[in-house]
Amino acid sequence: MTAADVTLSQACGQAEDTVLAVEGLSIGFGSSPVDLVDDVSFRVGRGRTLAIVGESGCGKSITSLALMGLLPSPPARIAHRSARFLGRDPLTLGQRAFADLRGDRMAMIFQEPMTSLNPVFTVGQQIIEGVLRHKDVGWNEARARAVAMLARVRIAGAERRLGAYPHELSGGMRQRVMIAMALVNQPDLLIADEPTTALDVTIQAQILSLIEELQATTGTAVLLITHDLGVVAETAHDVIVMYAGRVVESGPVEALFSDPQHPYTIGLMGAMPSMGRREGRLLSIPGAVPPPSRFPAGCRFATRCPFADDRCHAQKPPMVEAGPGHAVRCWKAPLEEYLPS
Amino acid sequence: MLSFVLRRLAVMAPTLVLVSMLVFSLQKLLPGDPVLAMAGEDRDPAVIAQLRERYGFNDPVPVQYLHWARQVAHGDLGMSLRTHQTVAALLAEKLPPTIELAILSLLVALVVGIPAGIASAVRKGTMTDHVANVVALSGLSIPHFWLGILLILLFSVTLRWLPAVGYVPFAGDPAGNLIAMIMPAVVVGGGLAAVLMRHTRSAMLGVLNSDYVRTARAKGLLFRAVILRHAFRNALFPIVTMSTLLFGELLGGAVLTEQVFTIPGFGKLMVDAVFNRDYAVVQGVVLCVAAAFLLLNLAADVVYMLINPRLRRPR
Repeated sequence: MTAADVTLSQACGQAEDTVLAVEGLSIGFGSSPVDLVDDVSFRVGRGRTLAIVGESGCGKSITSLALMGLLPSPPARIAHRSARFLGRDPLTLGQRAFADLRGDRMAMIFQEPMTSLNPVFTVGQQIIEGVLRHKDVGWNEARARAVAMLARVRIAGAERRLGAYPHELSGGMRQRVMIAMALVNQPDLLIADEPTTALDVTIQAQILSLIEELQATTGTAVLLITHDLGVVAETAHDVIVMYAGRVVESGPVEALFSDPQHPYTIGLMGAMPSMGRREGRLLSIPGAVPPPSRFPAGCRFATRCPFADDRCHAQKPPMVEAGPGHAVRCWKAPLEEYLPS
Repeated sequence: MLSFVLRRLAVMAPTLVLVSMLVFSLQKLLPGDPVLAMAGEDRDPAVIAQLRERYGFNDPVPVQYLHWARQVAHGDLGMSLRTHQTVAALLAEKLPPTIELAILSLLVALVVGIPAGIASAVRKGTMTDHVANVVALSGLSIPHFWLGILLILLFSVTLRWLPAVGYVPFAGDPAGNLIAMIMPAVVVGGGLAAVLMRHTRSAMLGVLNSDYVRTARAKGLLFRAVILRHAFRNALFPIVTMSTLLFGELLGGAVLTEQVFTIPGFGKLMVDAVFNRDYAVVQGVVLCVAAAFLLLNLAADVVYMLINPRLRRPR
């Protein structure tokens, strides 16, 4: 563990408020020697939102599926130094014990509201079964909770909508149902995997503010998986930026946006280093994410980085502190020193 | 729903007319003449001419068809040229064993094929999957009559557990009837189980990767609920289709199996009738099977509407 990890945890609040803490999570598949997720660490505190940002294929969805115990293993190989969720290590739980957590203490909503609901069951059946699975209540009580939850996600006529089938609802409504389904048992952690990507822009804002609002009243920790920096800026407290399976930068959202340190983060923002010259501007990142079989041996961003030198190509850079709670995985940090003056 | 069923029933009539026309014409294309067979050894030209006249074989084919169709419209399927029984009586006699064999075979197929298909999909790539696939492939490849003969050798000749041949009407002796039907149902149903297993497997594989199955698992539902409630309910559609088609085929009669186990069913009736150019019987059987097929398809569509909310009218 590096100093940066410690400061990150401080930024996320007191240790006892930590809902989920993961250290050194690595995930590979089958016999491939390359880890698609390599040495990822983070913490989410109660009532906090941690955003995992990155392009598709950076490993953010695999990470979230692994945390939910939804990654079939084998073929997946999941390794980690430590993980803590409500005082237990979920990644070492048996299938049954993990299933007891899922949908109860940790819940997940997905990118595709159109296909994530089962077409042959009513909305009510799908919410109620989640309550009955985890709570020792009768059907009437479970139904009452489902109605209350639907009302809380602002579905008009919740009582009546309980009998609706998914195909009778719009995309935004379905995502509201998914959120209701995820939160009905008041989980401590909500993993939202690109919850607004498939929705219209106006609906996106509604869904995000709904999640924020519910979080404010329940204190649920949110792990928000997204590729959209606008979403991050609006909703997250903390951010980790992933590239090709590695965390390249992490920190409080203000620090990351005002002073991005990793060339990849800077490229993502289409911004310039805060103290650099105008010529140092990076408007887009040249090239594309290499396939896992061709990940560079050193820094995985080296092939696309304008600052990369021999050391970058050869050795994996460590996470180094760039500010309070702000860490970056780059040999050239702080980047200002390397910019042409 | 009711109006849907009525509309579908209305469409069935022209379909049946077309089928009967087709079969009627095809039969007339077949070489061979029933009259020659009926006329006996000496083939007296006068007798032949008289017979031709009597059965209307001298009329043009369309006229013969209309004549037959008019009879059918009045509820008369005609007489067998060979046995001089009415076709209706023949059908009434041969239909029950065929239906019984069809139902029992389908039961065997469903009970064996669906669980095997689910298991091999859920355990894709494991030993269970491989074994199920090999068994299914064997089930598809082994000829029914040969498997039937082997079973008779084992269970009737060697072990003496089951009767080798002989059909016992259900009404007279239900237990004896069912015992006699075990082997035929296993032989026919086994082959169908293989078909159903393959279809169940591929349907389940498609559904198991779907987002809503992932959602069901994310809810913490246990394996059984995820597989049987969320996945299987959605894999059911192709299975219903396949079962319907298989059942329709069975109603046409399992010729070889009926032969091996001497079951007096549709298959043998049909084959005999075709060989004897017993036109009225062929027409009657075809009409009957075609109507059954259409009704089954209708039933399948109704089942679809029951299990698939997307097909129901929005409220």
